[in-house]
Amino acid sequence: MPIEDPNTQPPVDDYQWHTGRTTEVVDPAIEFIGVKKAFGSNKVLNGLDMALPDDQISMILGPSGTGKSVCIKHIVGLLYPDDGDVLVHGESVPMMGDDQLYAMRQRCGLLFQDGALFGSMNLYDNVAFPLRQHTEKSEDEIAHIVNQRLKEVGLGNSNEKMPNELSGGMRKRAGFARALVLDPDIVMFDEPDSGLDPVRTALLCELIQEIHAENGGAYVVITHDIASARRVAEYIAVLWKGQIVESGAATDLFESANPFVRQFLSGESQGPLGME
Amino acid sequence: MASIGQRALMPAKNLLEEAGDMVILTGKTVVSAIKPPYPYGGEFVSQFLFALKLCWFPLLISTVAFGYGAPGLQAANFLVLFGAIDRLGGFFVLASIREFAPFVTAIVLAGVAGTAITADLGARKIREELDALQVLGVDPIKNLVVPRFLALMLVTGLFDIYALLFGIFGGIVATLVNGAPLGPFWATFFTNASTVDLWGSLLKTTLYGAIIAIVCCYKGMTASGGAEGVGRAVNQAVVIAFLGIFAFNYVFTQTLLATHPEIQVIR
Repeated sequence: MPIEDPNTQPPVDDYQWHTGRTTEVVDPAIEFIGVKKAFGSNKVLNGLDMALPDDQISMILGPSGTGKSVCIKHIVGLLYPDDGDVLVHGESVPMMGDDQLYAMRQRCGLLFQDGALFGSMNLYDNVAFPLRQHTEKSEDEIAHIVNQRLKEVGLGNSNEKMPNELSGGMRKRAGFARALVLDPDIVMFDEPDSGLDPVRTALLCELIQEIHAENGGAYVVITHDIASARRVAEYIAVLWKGQIVESGAATDLFESANPFVRQFLSGESQGPLGME
Repeated sequence: MASIGQRALMPAKNLLEEAGDMVILTGKTVVSAIKPPYPYGGEFVSQFLFALKLCWFPLLISTVAFGYGAPGLQAANFLVLFGAIDRLGGFFVLASIREFAPFVTAIVLAGVAGTAITADLGARKIREELDALQVLGVDPIKNLVVPRFLALMLVTGLFDIYALLFGIFGGIVATLVNGAPLGPFWATFFTNASTVDLWGSLLKTTLYGAIIAIVCCYKGMTASGGAEGVGRAVNQAVVIAFLGIFAFNYVFTQTLLATHPEIQVIR
């Protein structure tokens, strides 16, 4: 009989906190079905099942490097799953042809981490770009929409500024205005709070709420800022190790008994989540 | 052992994958260029003028210096030994029209315009502008790659004529430096020159432009790892473009000589 080494630790189950507890989402805007994605030997999504509701502000929360941004890139077809499927309003994104994919993308708005404004265009032209590309609107109509959107995000007097003349927060707001000009059904935010001070983060969160209340649609926010989640989230999915730990209405998740979810949503150092 | 084997084969696998990706990009670019709509007119003109503005002076210096130095002085020194300096004109058909003008044009275009394209697209990729374009429903191949591809093909083709003229000027200077009259130079030049030489040179250089555009756009659009990644992409783009040009030159020259054996005859 082999002698057991008393120093040997039992193998840790990476998915011991993944209870899969979720609120059923009726008629979801976005669905991930068994999605697997690896970059080389690094498995980022590992059989991800997730549904995000329509007409609500959903948040995908999770520690850094768990594949939150990768999720967004799958939704808009910038990345394709190695296995599984991603559905947007019931249509499979990986199965779409180029024309269908570009048509679908026109119904989506995405705010990138740094705004991703076009460096060769001023603020006005950046925001007008989708309208000039995809609509037959006259320059007067475009000017009306662009000025209105810029005013909504508090950049009404910055039309002529170039992206390199803007602060990080202004670039994000400009990116937000550009993401909204085509009145998309789905708007996604990739860490809108990164690099912003707490006051500007709060203001941006308020802006997201206000514009969602006005326009509706499925808003998906990726963040690891719990304060932002408390402010704006209606639905939360907690992602770790490429799978959902728990998901459901924000109020339920903040009351969750799951030690991982509780630790993450309270931002405590003690709990199952360490530095690894 | 298997892991060591895999690691050893990884560079070869990556190289093949990149080559395959570039072939796919070429196919997509050609299809996008042909298939309507054609929204790239403005970008095409701007890229054409950009390459023209950046390259005309370096190309002028390079072709005159190279034409005078390499085939001019070296061949003239050799021909003077045999009292056959008049053959320098004929040699310039072989040297300048068929090889050196296309080569110097490609090297200058890859080094000046190609690197600028890689750096520009690489910076846009790092700033997520390319992703933003795609999300806004704009095809980056049609709107960014196609105009650069067409502009570089056209500008390299036109620059070949420019390089020919200034390259031959280098030969004229070499003839004069050797104290020889220009009449025999032109006589052997035009006896040996044929339309096949000219269109062969133009076609080859135009296709060099296509290679440079595809390689540089590809490396720019796949740059990763911040500013350092863009620098690495630019470096790789130049190396791969030169390798592609040299390899393509071998295939093109063999094919041209095989299909037009008459140009092998030195008159």
